[in-house]
Amino acid sequence: MDVWLWGATALLVGIAPCGWIAIRASRADALVALELAGTVATLALVLLSEGFNRASYMTVPVALAFLSLVGSLLIARFLGRHL
Amino acid sequence: MSAHDLVVDALVIAGVTGELLCCLGLVVARDVFDRLHFAMASTTLPPLLIAAAVIVEEDWTQPGINALLIAAVLFLVNPMVAHATARAARARRFGQVEATDAERRR
Repeated sequence: MDVWLWGATALLVGIAPCGWIAIRASRADALVALELAGTVATLALVLLSEGFNRASYMTVPVALAFLSLVGSLLIARFLGRHL
Repeated sequence: MSAHDLVVDALVIAGVTGELLCCLGLVVARDVFDRLHFAMASTTLPPLLIAAAVIVEEDWTQPGINALLIAAVLFLVNPMVAHATARAARARRFGQVEATDAERRR
């Protein structure tokens, strides 16, 4: 294991508190936890693609970076009115 | 261990530590608006540190440029997400986004 894979492992552990808040707290807090989990997952994927020495894997976090933002905006939009 | 490896290790450790501190802050904070600060802090410095580590490792090749693109997207677009989230949280708590009468009188 090199620093990239150790870093990705540590980041994946960091998603656990986000899950805890998403389960335990209110819906608005859960959305904030989802946003943080999206960022942490994106960076974990960057570290994993570097740790596996696969340049082609890097496209997954690029897609996730854009899609998690769109997802958060959509949920925030609905959260204010309908949920 | 060469200087190159030392720099890469330091950047990755700094970036990961920053993210984990934001996750810890998310749990410690009590209010949704406080939590929002930690969630958005995670999109500022740590992604840039990790992108710098990838660039030092890979130079200006496809992975390096992709990592920088990810850090730039997280840095530039997340303030909009934070704004939308804060508005939704206020709408849920106060029934409106604008300042309430009690807040105006304060």
